[in-house]
Amino acid sequence: MRQDTLVRFAKGAEMDWNRDQLLRSCVVLVAVIGLGWRCLEAQEISRTKSPPKAKVAGILPSPTLLADPNRSPGESVPAFIDWASRSGIGQREEARKIIAEAHSNLGVAQELCRQIIAHQRTDFSRTLIELSVLGEMRNEEGEECLVKFLHQPFPMEGTVVNGEIVEQTTLGELQSKAVDGLAYAGTKSGDREVLWAAGSHPSRIVRAEAINAYLWNHKDSVEARTTLERVVRPDERIFVDRPRYQPTMRSEEFNERLEAYAKEHPAPKPSKRAPGKFTPAQSVGDRPAPETERKPVSQPPQAQQISKEAK
Amino acid sequence: MKRSALYRSIAVIALTLTLPVGVFGVCDQSSVSQADSDLWAIHGCWQAFFLWQYQEYNLSSNDWGNRGWNDACNDNLEYPKTWNASYLVTYGLLDNNNQSFHGTTDYRQLAEAPDSDFKDSVYYDATDSTGIFGSFTYHWPGDDEITLSCNLFNANVLNANPASRAGDFMHEGWHGWLTEGNWDNGSAGGHRPCNVNPDGSCTNGACTVNGCDYFYFHGIGAYAFGALYQTDGTANRFHSPNQVQVEFLCDVSDQPQPWVPASVRQVAAADAAQRSAQRFINGPGYTCGSPRPW
Repeated sequence: MRQDTLVRFAKGAEMDWNRDQLLRSCVVLVAVIGLGWRCLEAQEISRTKSPPKAKVAGILPSPTLLADPNRSPGESVPAFIDWASRSGIGQREEARKIIAEAHSNLGVAQELCRQIIAHQRTDFSRTLIELSVLGEMRNEEGEECLVKFLHQPFPMEGTVVNGEIVEQTTLGELQSKAVDGLAYAGTKSGDREVLWAAGSHPSRIVRAEAINAYLWNHKDSVEARTTLERVVRPDERIFVDRPRYQPTMRSEEFNERLEAYAKEHPAPKPSKRAPGKFTPAQSVGDRPAPETERKPVSQPPQAQQISKEAK
Repeated sequence: MKRSALYRSIAVIALTLTLPVGVFGVCDQSSVSQADSDLWAIHGCWQAFFLWQYQEYNLSSNDWGNRGWNDACNDNLEYPKTWNASYLVTYGLLDNNNQSFHGTTDYRQLAEAPDSDFKDSVYYDATDSTGIFGSFTYHWPGDDEITLSCNLFNANVLNANPASRAGDFMHEGWHGWLTEGNWDNGSAGGHRPCNVNPDGSCTNGACTVNGCDYFYFHGIGAYAFGALYQTDGTANRFHSPNQVQVEFLCDVSDQPQPWVPASVRQVAAADAAQRSAQRFINGPGYTCGSPRPW
């Protein structure tokens, strides 16, 4: 009996000891997890919901003349482009007035043409602005420049994204702006080029803009539609019908046109993915899946390593 | 002389081999587009903003360290160009109830990192690959990833401007929305693929690139500001990534704050126009902006 009691006592003590060990381990584990969580929280960047109050620091300088009697076009044109490019929507009419004043200035048109060619491969957005100004000028020499620009050969190779050659798209968008200028010129020669572009330009982007610009410059008349329907590709007649949304338009008017257009060109009901884990192809948009994992912690960015002035 | 030349060569080789690989693999860091410069001139490098932006967009020095993280006022570099685009999203829209497609609250929630009605939380990194403009990658566990490529930074490329870069935030963010809602938008990187024709061209309906979407047309005022994420599961109330991008670009072009530069508005309209013309299966999207040159 006494031996049995001792054995039971010993077993009981062992169980108690195991239970204590387990409890102690649990406490340590919880403490470690808690500490780890606190550390992670401390490292996580605190997020502020609201951005700083809006600040517009730079003041737009006064406009300069495009055709300046006191400066050569080599000086006045880039100075005007700098101003016009930065100008806000409120300065649009002012810019148009200055451009119209330079309408018959051959030197300005030639300088704009020269700058367009110079910037075409280095700065897309500046070239777009220069083409806009040249088109707005409605200058005879400028029209010739726009025609030459429109007929620049399309690059057949380059950087491919989604089967699209980026250099083609870049040139296409610029040539679309050239088409806008030719349509706005309101001349027979300009219209001839626009109609050629609407049907025969190698870029769909340019063909689409040629249709849009031709219609707009002919006040969307029935005659303009008929003329276009004779030249556009059969599978692109849809471009003649599509709605145009302009800032000055009443939304009801746009909505009405859009509703009619959407009825003609419906989209199907969106579909859900099959249930289950994503396949690698389903877990990405616009690319194959990446190979590396990201490290989680970051220091804030700094304003300067090399000052802007020292560049 | 010969020995010192040899030492110099060895030193150069050793230095070359020990430099971090990333130092070589960066975008063109020697130029900035006119549109970026024009917008930059508006805020003049605003430190309080980029110190908010890097957190709200969840950017990290690990991903942007050699791309201007420690030189955030140098607008030739990728990180400054990224926060320049965020500035446009945050402050650049008019939010005109009668004219805008969607509001700043929609575009901000879509672009910014935190989890929202629009998508799970994301972080932004960059790649030297020029085979994409941007991309979205789902991760579990952890934040989803939005990657921006050199095509959004190199000044000679059409999309290297604040409007198109911000438009890419919307596009990739919308992939997050599709993923969150378990929507199937196609097998070509989250878009519908095109089909190769006998003449070698690749089309899908009216779409001419390999990455097509439907345009789920809706009028102005169909969505209250803040409701862009909503859908009824039908084509009546739904968006695709390219559609959201076009709507954003049209809002930048046509409904901007008065100070948004002409260069930014014009590139936005041009980008919207080319997307509308090329990327939609059920017909081209509408045009915005004006065909008048200026």
